[in-house]
Formats: sequence, structure tokens, C-alpha cells
Amino acid sequence: MLMPPFELHRPATVDEACSIASELIASGQEFDWIAGGTDLIPNYKWHINTKPHVISLAAIQGISDISMTEIGCMARLHDIAAGGQAHPLVAEAASKVASSLIRRNATLGGNLCLDTRCFWFNQAEEWRSSIDWCHKCDCGTGSDCRVIPNQNELCVATYQGDIAPTLMVLNATAHLIGPNGPRSMPLHEFYQLDGMTRNVLQPGEFMLKVTLSDDAGDWVGSYRKLRVRESWDFPEAGVAAAWKKGDRSTIRIATTALESIPRRHDEEVATSNGNVKAMADAIYASTKPVNNTALPPRYRRNMIKVLVKRACEE
Amino acid sequence: MSKDYVQQPGSSKDVRVDGKRVAGKMRFNPPGSGGSRPEMSPRDMDFIPELEGGNEAQPAGGHFQDKFRTGTTVGKRTALVDANAKVTGQAWYGDDVRLPNEIIGRIVRSPHHYAKVKSIDTSKAESLPGVIAVSTGVDAPNKFGVLPVTKDEHAMAVEKVRHVGDLVACVAAIDEETAREAAALIEVEYEVLDAVHDPKKGLLDVDEPIHWRGQYHIGSTNVQKRVFQEFGDRSNLENSTATHHGKWKFMGVNHGFTEPHAVVAHWDSNGRLQLYTPQQVPHYAHRALATVLDVPMHQINVIRTFVGGGFGGKSDPFPHEMCAAILARKAGRPVRITFDREEVFWVNRGRHPSHIEVKINADEEAKISGFDIDALIDGGGFASFGHVTSYYNGVLATAPYELGSFHYTGARVWTNKPASGAMRGHGAVNTRCAIEVGLDDLAEQLQVDPIDLRLANLLPPHSKTITGFRITSNGMRQALERVREGSNWDEKFRKLPLGKGIGIGCGFFISGSGLPIHWDPNNFPHATVHIQIDMDGGVTVHTGAAEIGQGSTTAVAQVVAEVLALPLDMIHVRSHESDTSPVDLGSYSSRVTFMNANAAISAALEIRETLLNSVSEMLEVPSELLILNDRRIYNKKDPTQGVSYLDALHKSQEDRGALISSGAYRTPPMGGVHKGAAAGLAPAYSFSAYVAEVEVDVETGLIKCTDVWAAHDCGKALNPLAVEGQIIGSCHMGLGQVLSEQMVYGRTGHLQNPNLLEYKIPSVHEMPNVTPIIIESCDPEGPFGAKEAGEGPLLPILPAVVNAVYDAIGIRINNLPLTPDKVWAAIAKKMKVQGLEDAQDLPVPRLDFSELQQKLADRAAEHNIRDARRQRFEDDGPYLNGVLFGLDPNLPPEEQDDTWTISVRPDESQIEGLGLAGTAWTKKEQRHMGGEK
Repeated sequence: MLMPPFELHRPATVDEACSIASELIASGQEFDWIAGGTDLIPNYKWHINTKPHVISLAAIQGISDISMTEIGCMARLHDIAAGGQAHPLVAEAASKVASSLIRRNATLGGNLCLDTRCFWFNQAEEWRSSIDWCHKCDCGTGSDCRVIPNQNELCVATYQGDIAPTLMVLNATAHLIGPNGPRSMPLHEFYQLDGMTRNVLQPGEFMLKVTLSDDAGDWVGSYRKLRVRESWDFPEAGVAAAWKKGDRSTIRIATTALESIPRRHDEEVATSNGNVKAMADAIYASTKPVNNTALPPRYRRNMIKVLVKRACEE
Repeated sequence: MSKDYVQQPGSSKDVRVDGKRVAGKMRFNPPGSGGSRPEMSPRDMDFIPELEGGNEAQPAGGHFQDKFRTGTTVGKRTALVDANAKVTGQAWYGDDVRLPNEIIGRIVRSPHHYAKVKSIDTSKAESLPGVIAVSTGVDAPNKFGVLPVTKDEHAMAVEKVRHVGDLVACVAAIDEETAREAAALIEVEYEVLDAVHDPKKGLLDVDEPIHWRGQYHIGSTNVQKRVFQEFGDRSNLENSTATHHGKWKFMGVNHGFTEPHAVVAHWDSNGRLQLYTPQQVPHYAHRALATVLDVPMHQINVIRTFVGGGFGGKSDPFPHEMCAAILARKAGRPVRITFDREEVFWVNRGRHPSHIEVKINADEEAKISGFDIDALIDGGGFASFGHVTSYYNGVLATAPYELGSFHYTGARVWTNKPASGAMRGHGAVNTRCAIEVGLDDLAEQLQVDPIDLRLANLLPPHSKTITGFRITSNGMRQALERVREGSNWDEKFRKLPLGKGIGIGCGFFISGSGLPIHWDPNNFPHATVHIQIDMDGGVTVHTGAAEIGQGSTTAVAQVVAEVLALPLDMIHVRSHESDTSPVDLGSYSSRVTFMNANAAISAALEIRETLLNSVSEMLEVPSELLILNDRRIYNKKDPTQGVSYLDALHKSQEDRGALISSGAYRTPPMGGVHKGAAAGLAPAYSFSAYVAEVEVDVETGLIKCTDVWAAHDCGKALNPLAVEGQIIGSCHMGLGQVLSEQMVYGRTGHLQNPNLLEYKIPSVHEMPNVTPIIIESCDPEGPFGAKEAGEGPLLPILPAVVNAVYDAIGIRINNLPLTPDKVWAAIAKKMKVQGLEDAQDLPVPRLDFSELQQKLADRAAEHNIRDARRQRFEDDGPYLNGVLFGLDPNLPPEEQDDTWTISVRPDESQIEGLGLAGTAWTKKEQRHMGGEK
């Protein structure tokens, strides 16, 4: 399990990070950002889409703050879960990520920008060579997708982050920074199909922080995660729901681990007139997982109904 | 050294100075009187058997080695003697070995399921700077395999590759980076062949079977081994009162040990091979290396490193061990190969994926009139231990119950997957699960309690099974009774609300294999132990027994310490090198404690006798009157009259120097004479019974096992701490197989989850609260009464959980593991059939006892008295399977009952009606087809 060599850059400020990124882009060199490294390093060890340069955000001060209304990209999941400052719903989701060991390294930014996953893809190099690679990491061969063959367009790898749906239902704003300056958008618009595109980040851009509105503290809800083991496992399906305390009409629902991006289901909620079962059925109807995680897609899809019901329990 | 020599400061007070020696106050002679305490401890009467005058209760009777018990360590909770090395990080595992000048080896593996190797071009790799050696199959044409009857492996592919990940070539380079680069430069031309993935298809004739066995090849199928066994009275099965029929599918599982395989090979200055490897069975690796490398065994020293978990997965001789040796020979430098986890899964040897069908019949008195078992097991690309596994899947189901008849058809097929092999509970686990669940169903049909059904059908101690296994000690009954009581069974069974359930399962396993794999038992012992004591008093024990974390080194140290009455820290076990260790057959089939500790006791007794003779001469006291206790030997009648161990030792060493002794163990002759009679034969058997309690989320299908009461009969717990550790560890491992672990082969036949994230071993959160219950049935031949505790405890957890799930939701699922999707699908199906809207409305099973219940309880009570008497030899008459059905225990059943069958080959009329695996018998061997001779 030897990683290919790469050059590690350790900027001390956000500006420096952006300028290193612009320089690399200008000279035509590829790079990855690294925060906690719990997603990137295993992929590098498997020789998946490795790059010659890696820019670490670890040395930058002031981007790991946690409060009810703001969380920096380098905030550790352990601190979000156990620190008592973050919104309880976000803390709940953070506490369910992977294992306590991983949560001590993993960061909010890394979790929100988690690479999509697929059992044809998250494998060692030798293994992937035995299937002649796949679309997401084709090693220059133009390989087909192994999940849904005979289409060479779409990557259907699954987004399996836990925290995104909770921030989505709290209406969080994602703040990005890059060589062309800062920009921000609602988190539910941050993600973009497909499994390779993943999100709207442009080359050289990274997520700096997420913010919640000032009334975030008035919102309650819960996050339900489906997994075989209560430690280590990525979600096989996840549902977050939140509503303003005392006002169920404000309910918002988001799902994760069912498609290539986490999704907020405003339309399904709006057409259900506050009926939780109707919401669950509508989300079930509009969500189509594929066979690329540990549990079969039919089951995961059916669990949407159970998870939505449980997430909406008061 | 002055007279006031004190080994431990602060311990010099209240010591007598008048020269009179008093036990407990006696100071040892300096120097080196042994141990870190300067004074003798009093005899620990709590650990001297009551029949020898001590306080240790012996409900199961005495043991012939009781008189050698000294109350030193046996029966005491003892930390493993190698624990310090492990917890301080000083234990040297396979990849911790670092030799000067070593280089790194890397294996080139097949990307194809099945292909002919047309050509291999290594020139580019060889010319890469930093590459020292490259090797391919032509360098090692000799075949090997763990079983001499099925040698079908090469170090690297000679003609064909048989699964993705099969070895094709190997390279050694100055570092891992270069080795990886070189491996990628090796160009292999393949001709891809049609692969077989489904074991059912392995039963069919194909153009290119995965292996070819010449005249013994069965048709042109991929059947590696087929078994047929039929015993007992088959005449009355038609008139059964209750019949269970279960069709099971078991996914393959891997051992999931922490340490990946690693090996270092080095040809030393004398041209001898020094091979460092974490092996469970160093001796068979030793043999295979000699064969493959074409050098005599004495020119090879196999050094077993610490083993980071084995569970059967490190018991074959492995091709990568050969590769390292071949590369090191070519390179003239030590070569190290360490596996990635994917490679561990590719070499596998895990539990066979299996299709098992069981039929169980019971008569009107709830006696079990027949077990019919059909097991098709998926062997993957190589034979490994599969020949034995093919038998075990049937024959290890013949106890603990008394059977009217037994019918087994088994077949092991080659498929283009990593090889299956031996794994904790070898061959017995899957069938046991199917049988125990079947009994639960049978009890339901008969409206009786499943524990009482079992209690009324148990074979007694000192009996013979239907296929002729010799049962000695048998604590099955106590195990059942203890878990029933511990779990509060009678208050819970069939009385818990929906979603909560409780279930029972039993286990039966060999304690050592009666016949060794390689040797004629008439000539060679199974285990040999050498003891050497020089003037310092420290005891060096040489054994080849492979410590794999199970505590075998501790067990050996304990029994030697016990016999010689020495503190454990005076016993030093040397077990790492074949150069210095006497041959031990290895850590498999739960044989080590039973055989090796017996060998160690016999070696220690020889030393004991020497010491006692010397003391007898010194004190002029007959040696029968001498007591050994904590570094002192004294007169039983006058404890003040005695000498220190060291004085006795020095006296013994006069004119001869160090005391050296050798002890050995060999199984007694036993078993039947039919073909396959040796499979499953063991000098003793372990028994276990577990009750598991589960919670099932009826909406998601997620199962949580909350509590387990785990009773295991290990004969005598030499070290209760280690036995409990094995029971709890077995629960964890078995729970993995029943709930979440599986090797998933996807649509294309590729192993989809060769990593520890997606191969789901239960985490600490999934672990139930396990209450280990040790049953001591005192085996007459076990060392101080001990039997195995390492594998048997795994068996019952599977059926106990499956039965508990039934109790919770009223659904039996015959497809392991019980992943939530399967449970949910089964619930959804039942809801559809019953027209239910809400899963919370699912009916749960309830039990109204039939009249039979009381009859069974009465029979169990009678048998309880019978068994207690037999256990203590108050009744030492013969007992054989069939007595419950009216047979005379003094005559072989076939001589008193014309309908009693003993058959190991189906006759023509039977072949049509055999089960899935049985269809292997529709094919003829090549020699009977006019084919290859």
C-alpha cells in the first residue's frame, strides 16, 4: 500500500493557498486539496486518481471555528460532535460519521466535499485492472461505467457524506474561496451531478466555511442513518429533517447516500401537505439508488420510507 | 554471597534464624534459587483436586494426572505469557522482521478468472534499474498442497491461472516502489477460458476442468471430492411424526485476521534457507518448501514469527512463501513480501460458500430417526484442506444427538475463485447451523421446548456415535442446563413481544484430529516436547506448537510449571524455530492444548521423577512421600524435612549436567474401518450450548444481538481466562458470519469487497454482552482433563441467533448472513402473504406444550442420572448410538439389526434420488469410463 509520490504544499493563509493553486493551474499541473485526509489518503493508497501536487489546508489558522451559525472547513468532526457549540442536528450527524478515530482527523470541509463512492471504483489498482477500470477512474482507457454498462456519459457513484443533509435542512450557506475570489450559495445548490462532477467547485476553489441563519437555534430535527455497523460504515441511506420549533409547516427533508449527490426534497415536501407518509412516498418515488454500495438498491430505496418517518418524529 | 542474601528487598522480616526450616518461612539458598520471591508459598489447596485431598471440586470425577497437580497454575486465571511482548509492541510479527541488505518482493497476479498462460515476457522488468530478481512458474515446477492426497498448487502459474489474483510471477527490487513498477512491466499473454463461478455449475461436465486428476477425475466436471455415507436404520423414515426440511445458502467468509501475510526468506552463509513466516503450521510449510525448492528439509529452518491471528487462514503452505525463497535464492539477498489486504482475500482459505440441505425426522416419541444432509461446498481454485472439509460438513453433525439413521452426500467443487480452506470450526459450522435450526423447527412442530427436545436425545458420556466416533467426556447436558438457567429461558422463550427473541443452539467439535495429515500414527507422535534444565534452574521448553494468539505457549508453560511446582516465570518456552523445536503438527483442528500439553506433561514427569529420586536419596525418604511445592520438595509427613528445588536439581545434575527430557503424544487407536472413518475422528470432543437474545427492528430488518449465555465444555479449564477469551472471541467471529460478514462475488465474478471496510466484521457496538460459562467434564485423556476451547465455541452462536430471530419475528431465514435487506425482504413477503399493512402487526410464535413435553422431560431426567453415572465411571458398560432405539450396547448394530446400513457408496438404485451435491455421484471416474488410465 504505497502511495505514489506527490509534492505537498502547506500554505499558512487562505491567500497563499489560492495563489499556490493558481500557480499550479497556470503551469498546467494537477493537484488535490487535503484537509483531514481520511478520504483522500485511502484513495491515494489505492492509486485512485492521484495527482502530483497536494495542497494541505492544515496549517491555515482561523478556519476551524465552530458556532451555532458558522463552521469552518477545517473544524474536526470530533469537535463538531462533542464540542457543544455546533447546532445539535449537525453535531448528531457528525457523531455518526465513521469511527471515533477517524472523526479526530476528519473535517467538515472534507466531509462535505467527500468523493463519491462505488464498489467498482474504491478498490486497489490491481483489482481495478482486473475489471478493465471504470468510467470514474479510467486510466486513459475510456472505460465504461460498471454499474450501468453501455453508457459512457454518466458516473453514478454514490455520495455517502452524513453531514450535508443536516446542513441542507438547516438552510446552510456554503462559502467558497478561490483564485477568482469568494462566492457563496445555499448548500443544496453546491452539489452538482454527476458522480465525477460532484459539486460546483472550480479548479483552485475550496469550501471555506458554512454559515447558518441567525435563527438556526430555533430549528430542531433529526438525522437517521442506515448502516450495518454502528461504527466505520458509510451511510447506506441517510435522511435529515428539520423544522422550526412548534411549526411543522416549515419542515424540510434532505437525503444522502442514495444518489450521486445529497438532495433536499422541497418539491416532494411541498406537495404532501404536511403528511409525513406522503412525503416519504414522494421521496421514495423520486429517488433511485443504484447497485454500488454494500446493500442492494431496492432495500435502500425502501428504507427511505422508514427513515423519513423516523427523522420526522417529534 | 552472604548468608543474608535477599532477592527482594523488604522481605527479610520475621525470618527464622535458628536454622529450622519451616514451610512458608524457608529462605532459599543463594544464588539463583529461582523465581522473584525469596520464600516458598504455601500449597494452594483450592487448586488441588478434592480426590487428592485438596479443595477443588470434581463433580465429573477424577483424572489419572490428578496426582501430579501441585496447585501451581492449572485452573488459575493466568495472563498469557507472551502478553507483555504484544501489549508493549515488542512482539515481532511477519512484517517486523528486518534483515540486513534485504530487498522487497512483489507478486504479479492474474487479472483473469481463468486463463492459459501463453507467454511471460520479463525482459522489461529485468532491465529496470533496481530490480534484482524476477521469477516465474518455470522456476518451480513441483506441486504442493497442505494435504498429500491433493497437491494441486504451484508457487506461480505453470500452465493456467485459476482465479483473479492467482500468482503469475514475482519480482524483487531494492524498494517497494521499484518492485511495483517492475511488476507492472511484466507482460503476460493469456488465453482466456470459460470461468466457473457458480458451484452448482461445478457439478457439470466442462471442456476445461480447473484441475485434471487423470484416471481419478470425476467425469470432466469440476468435482474435487465427493462423499457418500449412510448409516443406521433407514426403514421407518416414512412414518415420521415430524419432519423438518431446510435448504440453506451460506456465503463464504474470510478469517479477517489483523496481520496480513508476510514472509522473509534468506539463504544464509551456509546455503541454508532461513524462512520467517507467521505460520500456524510451520511443519507443513517446511515440507512444502523442501518439495518446491528441491532441497532437503534439514537445509531449511522455518522461523515462525508472532502470528497476528490465524483462525485457519495461515495453516496452508503458501505460494508467496515459495516465491520469497525463490527470489532470495536468485538475488542472493534476503527478500521480504508483505501482503496488502486484497492479497489476503485473494489467497483466502476461508469458510466455503455452501449450499446445504437438511432433512430431520422425528418419531412419535420425539426421537431423531434420521439426519439427511446434502452439502455442496465451493472450494475455489485449489484443494487446500477441502478433502477433509467435504467430510466434516456431514460427519461432524453425528453428535451430540443419538440418531436412528444418518445419510450424507457431500461434494466440493473447484470454481474460479480464491481457494476456500480451513477456518475456525472447520467444516462443522454451516451444517451445525442448519441442523440446530432444524431441531428448533422440529420442536415447534412437536410443541415441545427445544431445550428439552435436545436433553432427551443426547448421547451419554463414553459412547460411540452412529459413524463410530468415540465420545469420551461429554458436558453437553450441563451446558444446556446452565444456559437455560443463566438466560432465564423458561420465562422468555416464546413469551417475548414482537421484535425481541431468544434462541438456543448447540455445538460439537473435534479436540485434535485423530489421524495426522502426513504421518503414520503407528510410527510418529503427533506432538513432541523437549525440556531442558541447567544449573540456573530455569526450565527451557522446546516445542514446535505454533502460538497464534490462542495461548498454546502459555498452556505448555502452565502444565510444566504445574508438574514441577515452579513459578511461571521460570519456564521459558522456545517454539519459534524448526532447527530447535521438535516437530509439532501445528495449530489446526484444535489439537494443540490436548496433544502438546499432554506431551509436555509427559516430558515434565520425566524431570519430576529424576528430581524426586535425587531428593529421595538425599533425605532418605521414599519418593512417593515427597511433595513438590513452589521450588521446594519436602516430606509429606514432615514438611520441615525437605530441600530446595535447586538443591535437588544440582544433585540430579551430578555427573550428567543439564536435565533433558522428551515427551510425546499419540492418539490411541480408535474409530471404524469404513472409507472416510478417520475424518472427524478425535481423541476427545468438545460440546457447547448457547442461548442468544436478539432485538429485530421489524421496519429495517436490522438485528442486534444483545446477550449471549455461552456454555462450553472444555473438559478442564487449564486457564479459565484464556477459555473465556476464546468463548467471547468465538462469539464475535460467529456473529460476523451470521449477521454481516460475507465475501461478495458480483455480477462479473469479481470479489467485490476485499477490504475491511466493506467486509463487515462486527465492531464493538455490535458485540453482545457475553456471559461465558465453563463446563468441566474432565476428559480422561486430556491434559489434566482439558479439551479444546478454540473452535467449538464458534458453532452454536449461528443457530442460536437464527433461532432467536424466529422467536422475535416468526420468520426463519435460511440464507446467511442475515443482512438487514434479507430480513426486511422476508418480513415484506410475509406481510404481503398475510395481508398486513404494518410490520408491527406481525404475529409472533407462541408455544402450547403438547403431551410429549412431559414425556421428554421425564426421559431427560432419566438420562441425566444415566449420564452422571457414566461420566464418573460408576457405569462403565459400553454405549453405542442406537441404544435409545432399542439396540443392545454390547453388539455392533449391524449384527443385531438387518436393516442397519453401513454404506459409503451409493448403489445404482440410490443415485437418482440424491440431493444437489449427491448428483456428483451420477458421474463416473475416468478410469471407469474407458478414459485415461
